[in-house]
Amino acid sequence: MHSNKAAIDSLQLTKAYRSNDPPAVADLTLKIEAGCVFGFLGPNGAGKTTVLKMLLGLTRPSSGKALLFGRPIDRPHSRERVGYLPELFRYPPWLTPREVLDYHAALAGVPHAGRMTEIERVLSMVGLASRAADRTGTFSKGMQQRLGLAVALLGHPRLVFLDEPTSALDPLGRVDVRDIVRGLRDESTTVFINSHLLTEVEQLCDRVAFFRKGRIVADGSIDGIVGSSRGVRIKLDTQANGVATNALRAFGQVRIDGDTIALSEITTAQVPDAVAALVARGMRIRAVIPLSRTLEQRFLELMDDKC
Amino acid sequence: MLTIALDTIREVSRRKFAPAAIALTALVTILTGWGFWSLARLHTANGRPLSFVEVRSTTAFLVIFGAFLFSFVLAFGGAIISAPLLSTDLESGLLLPVLARPISRVSFVAGKAAALIVVIGIYSAVTAFLQLFAVRLTTGYVPPHPFAAVGALWMLATVVLAFGLALSVQLPALASSLIAVTAFGVSWMVGVVSSFGIAYHNAMLIRVGILSQLLVPTDAMWRFAVYQLEPVAMLGHNGGFGPLGPFSVVSPPPIAMVWWTVAWIAVVLTVAAGAFSRRDA
Repeated sequence: MHSNKAAIDSLQLTKAYRSNDPPAVADLTLKIEAGCVFGFLGPNGAGKTTVLKMLLGLTRPSSGKALLFGRPIDRPHSRERVGYLPELFRYPPWLTPREVLDYHAALAGVPHAGRMTEIERVLSMVGLASRAADRTGTFSKGMQQRLGLAVALLGHPRLVFLDEPTSALDPLGRVDVRDIVRGLRDESTTVFINSHLLTEVEQLCDRVAFFRKGRIVADGSIDGIVGSSRGVRIKLDTQANGVATNALRAFGQVRIDGDTIALSEITTAQVPDAVAALVARGMRIRAVIPLSRTLEQRFLELMDDKC
Repeated sequence: MLTIALDTIREVSRRKFAPAAIALTALVTILTGWGFWSLARLHTANGRPLSFVEVRSTTAFLVIFGAFLFSFVLAFGGAIISAPLLSTDLESGLLLPVLARPISRVSFVAGKAAALIVVIGIYSAVTAFLQLFAVRLTTGYVPPHPFAAVGALWMLATVVLAFGLALSVQLPALASSLIAVTAFGVSWMVGVVSSFGIAYHNAMLIRVGILSQLLVPTDAMWRFAVYQLEPVAMLGHNGGFGPLGPFSVVSPPPIAMVWWTVAWIAVVLTVAAGAFSRRDA
């Protein structure tokens, strides 16, 4: 095992549901430092939810070990100040959100004195304050997912697991979730996001791991995974010409197409100088667009069966 | 455990079990009162009112018959409220965020079981004593040991409840409740058959009856209850059927059977908690 200060520290964590089948999760060794926003990416059926359930003590590993903040995952106290939004979220339809949260606050050990304040805090965070007295049975899927998020955020957790946290949300809800996750990062809360929505992960995560057929196939920062910039595309407000080519030749390969200049092999640090060179020659610039691989492109490469 | 238990009691009340039980109990109490009031004023074909002894003996038998039907209600109730609590709620996603809290699965099952045992105990006591009060009010009859009888019926319901809860670790609600109720029914049938063994001094039938009572002690608890409700003069009368059948016993099961039933419930719930602790969510 690595250090006991990591938020999550697993060593060869394995889960095989049937002895003859390949394991759903195989030898997962993963260390996530406290305060990290971690994106766990993979196609459906890759085993992401199984990993999350093992870490939360919901599913028993076949072999291997894992610790949450230094505590073994088979002990209930490893889940103190840990929040969880399941992919399959459902809350008792006979309760109101306030009652659901009160129940979870009691289970989570939130002190009775400040419990109502805490409940109101998370309700307003997820935008459910005005529906706090309605039965959850009347809620849409999106509202239930918001309630699930409120449950996960109760008691200022130091580690939050979010399994497909925006699957039922409209675009406004997704923006809210992004803001909440950014807020958690500002508070140094560790966030573990299971998702196959790559745009969200790209916007939120400090680190991502690609998971395929029960194994991690890539792990690192988004820049590290995607690779460095492959150039920029510069749009002018007039047609580009030989003057532009001469101005930019020193920075890399130049290709002109109408009002657009494609400049490859330029480093990120050189981009301001290239723009300044064009401006110095009297050209007006409408846009500078980085030519980098997206997380989605990298995902598709890594998930390709031939890889 | 207390938080889980209180939430379970709230669930039972919110899921309309409690309002339905209250409404049905009120209705049955009114009908019981009306029925026994009519009985006390019955006349024979030649216009003679029933004698005191006739009213008392008929009332005593009908109280036992009512308790017999009530034991079915309790068994069905125990099975139905316990059956969806583990597997079904886990697979529907309802329990995932709960079990991800810093609580042990054993305390979760213990909280659920404790709440249901209390709920079914309150229901048994309130319903039974309301019926007996209606009987007392209309006919003046009080069975010999009503508290012990109600206690035995409560244990009968708890046996079915514990069994249903244990089955619900792996099985869906319908299968769990069906198996638990079937076990209760089979135990009851074997009890009837073994009464023939007692009547005809057949050692094998008696042994089968004892084995059945040890495996699923609901019939033993029923026989314990019926003995507490029988006036001494009616022992073994069984509405004219003698010692055959479920409505009369000459002697109750030994008191050790009560302790066996308590131990049986404890063991089954312990097995349920252990199995649930090992179950993947």
